[in-house]
Amino acid sequence: MSALPGIASIAAMALYAAFFLHAESQAQVLGLVALGVIGVPVLARVGWIARAAASLEAHPLAARSASVAALAAIIALFHDQHFVMLMLASVLLYSVACLGLTVQFGYAGVVNFAGAAFLGVGGYTSAVLGPHVPHALVLLIGGLLAALVGSILILPILRTRGHYAALITVAFGILFRTFVEVNDALGGPQGLQVKGMNLFGWELNSPLRNLSFYANYVFVGLALAAAAFVLVRRLERSWVGLSLDAVRLDETAAAVFGIDVARWKILAFTCGNFFAGIAGAAYAMMTGFVAPNSFTFGDSLILVSIVLLGGLGSAWGVPLAAGIVLIVPEKLQALQEYRFLLYAMLVIVILLARPQGLIARPARQYFPK
Amino acid sequence: MDVGLFGQYVANGLMLGVIYAMVAVGFTLFFGVLDVIKFSHGDVLTAGAFAGLATYGGLQALGFASPAVQLLIILLVAVAAMAFLGALIAKYLVLPLRTAPPLNTLLLTLMLGAALRECVRLFYPQGANPKPFPRLLPQDAVALGSFTLRLDNVLLLLGGLAAIAAVHFVITRTKLGLAIRAVAQDAETARIMGIDFERVVLLTFALGSGLAALAGIMNGLYYSEINFSIGLLLGVIGFSAAVVGGLGNIYGAILGGFLFAGLQTVGAVLLPALLPQLPSAYKDVFAFAAVIAFMAWRPTGLIAEKTAERV
Amino acid sequence: MSEALLSCSGLSVRFGGLVALDALDLEVRSGAILGLIGPNGSGKTTLFNVITGVYRAAGGRAQFSGQDLAGMTPQRIYAAGVTRTFQRSRLALPLSVFDNVMIGNHRRLHHGLWFNLFQRSELRREFESNLAKARALVATFSARLAGRMFDAAGAFSMIDRRRIEICRALVSAPRLLLLDEPSAGMTHEETRELMDDLLAVRSRLAGLSIVIIEHEMNVIERVCERCAVLNYGRKIAEGSYAQVAADRQVQIAYLGTE
Repeated sequence: MSALPGIASIAAMALYAAFFLHAESQAQVLGLVALGVIGVPVLARVGWIARAAASLEAHPLAARSASVAALAAIIALFHDQHFVMLMLASVLLYSVACLGLTVQFGYAGVVNFAGAAFLGVGGYTSAVLGPHVPHALVLLIGGLLAALVGSILILPILRTRGHYAALITVAFGILFRTFVEVNDALGGPQGLQVKGMNLFGWELNSPLRNLSFYANYVFVGLALAAAAFVLVRRLERSWVGLSLDAVRLDETAAAVFGIDVARWKILAFTCGNFFAGIAGAAYAMMTGFVAPNSFTFGDSLILVSIVLLGGLGSAWGVPLAAGIVLIVPEKLQALQEYRFLLYAMLVIVILLARPQGLIARPARQYFPK
Repeated sequence: MDVGLFGQYVANGLMLGVIYAMVAVGFTLFFGVLDVIKFSHGDVLTAGAFAGLATYGGLQALGFASPAVQLLIILLVAVAAMAFLGALIAKYLVLPLRTAPPLNTLLLTLMLGAALRECVRLFYPQGANPKPFPRLLPQDAVALGSFTLRLDNVLLLLGGLAAIAAVHFVITRTKLGLAIRAVAQDAETARIMGIDFERVVLLTFALGSGLAALAGIMNGLYYSEINFSIGLLLGVIGFSAAVVGGLGNIYGAILGGFLFAGLQTVGAVLLPALLPQLPSAYKDVFAFAAVIAFMAWRPTGLIAEKTAERV
Repeated sequence: MSEALLSCSGLSVRFGGLVALDALDLEVRSGAILGLIGPNGSGKTTLFNVITGVYRAAGGRAQFSGQDLAGMTPQRIYAAGVTRTFQRSRLALPLSVFDNVMIGNHRRLHHGLWFNLFQRSELRREFESNLAKARALVATFSARLAGRMFDAAGAFSMIDRRRIEICRALVSAPRLLLLDEPSAGMTHEETRELMDDLLAVRSRLAGLSIVIIEHEMNVIERVCERCAVLNYGRKIAEGSYAQVAADRQVQIAYLGTE
């Protein structure tokens, strides 16, 4: 399996993204969207998507280098545009959270409809601790707190199956939002302001040279996303990933062969929430505020949709889907009002027509040659 | 606390309980028949309420004056429209996804609910704002000491209970109900026995959605107001109630509905008494926290789901 | 004479009012192959489920290698050396053949998070040695299967999946293997082959005891030294195949009375 299809696909996507981000008129944007909507099923039908995905799987180093290079190119192209840099950073940070969610239900089968709540825990941690604690530590604490808060749900989640477990996370999401909304100490409905990130003296809110200051967040986002990506890939390509899959696919059979179902579910759930917490903490510092309205059930749904759209269990699918979900609605200004409706309909269409998502999860290759 | 206030809480709690129960029964019916959680159910309720409102507008324009007639027509239109919508959803969205992993159906119905919500918000004139709902029930009230018993509340309560009783009757005493229960227990065998699986599913969804429309209208009559997002919270509460009662069991759903309303009421009463600074919105936090804790204790609800896993 | 590896005395299992196992006494010696036969619903699979910890016994005792099985989790029972196959195939179909076999190898793999994430070269060594082992095991049943270790299990026929499931149960070198109708759906030829391969593997695993639930009497006759017959949860006969086949009670159980 050559590395070429994978690299070519990354280059093609980067090119498409560049055009998309550059497009000014609505006609251009709609044209590109149409191209995507028609092009993707065609590519899927002729098997190119599967080939590209297999190529990426077989050559991780090449794939990752190509992605970083593509990202660098886009940064260079749009270096002074706030909007584009903000979008890129958002995509990267959301990818971190969604990679966490992938571990939770892509691998272990633990459904989490409260992803936004865990982002919120991280965000509020930034708001509260930001002025007092070094920000690198704040990110870590944000993650740990999210994992800790999530552990409240562990017992009910372990004891329940399927939709019951889903209900618990839904209820928790609502609970969290109501909690921060009525809590004046956490800013109530208005929320709190969050200080910009300052890593070891590097003030991220002040621009480097002639770059948008959001580019700084892109760099941090890339570091976090890359770390998350590598960890999640290693997790999957290991005995741990195998145990998680076994738990997801057949708990009874897994137990009979010695797999500690509870332990793996706890690990997956905690790990996923940890990622979400870190992402939320960074995101809050970037946008400068946290408010209850950013962490609604609808936002959790968006996270779940990204994971499903990209392809459940497919790590490469996550940044791709995050890109589509976050950027496309922003560009379609004429349809701003309708974007959530269109977006909901898009997910429905995908679920009916291509449920395995954009990049179907490839078979496990422990050590690609 | 004086009797009047207590009475107020009880009346409110009962009213909420009836509405929650109606939504919960819908969830439990859908789950029983197709093993599916139709998360758009709450938003069907909203759509039903708005359908009723739109009908009212039409009736006003046509010059119908009698509130009783108006109410009747509104109910008929809303229930019929939502029953039809429910059947459509079943046929084109839910049934095709039967063989897919349950997460997909979950997500599909969640998105569907969001789409319904957005449609109401975007396409109904000024849908984003709360809309006043006509007061079509007699507005008389009886004073019992410091407690005011509203006649319309009593009518709504009775109406809701009657609706639930009617559904119960259909499920337990009619051929359709028998078919529904057969499909819920074992779809394959039911088919072999000659039951038209698809027809039963469509009718079940129609029944549940019609019930939701009724709940939506009742909700509007009670609060004299509706808005596009009432379905979301009601849906989650209805689902919680159905789960707590035990998915697939109608009695459980009814019980769960009243239980959840009870939890909210207790929360609304207890929390300010214990912690005066605590805002009343905490009652929802309390209720949901209680549901989560309950699920840890009784994972399959009060009346356990009858599943048999063949090992 | 080897002592009992598995011994059940007075073992009972109830589902509500239904008695699935009724005061069962059974012994399996180390290295023995025991056939378990009886009409459908006689409690054979239930016995497997109790031994592997999936069901809880309502009464009596079950002991494996001196340890009381009561209250032991399925995981601990597996760790003690008991594995099984299922009557209705329970493979992870989206996962590869290798993955499925490795699920059975759980207790011989390192599952620490640190090891799996950060000691990749050691993990690789463990992976390669286990791949070789799994391949060799699968090859004893089907060379063709062994050449397709990384294809999804769902791509194979039911018979191949059965083989994969048996390999999953054998790969951890268990001391007691419970096979639930391994030959169901196979032709006589395939069954004969399967049993040959099974015996070949067994000869390499000293002391492996096997209990086979079967409806195919040829298998029982050929492979099992002893067999036990269950009916309505009770043992109605035990002995060599010839003895059991001649037993009047057994005949009535299968064929009914005149």
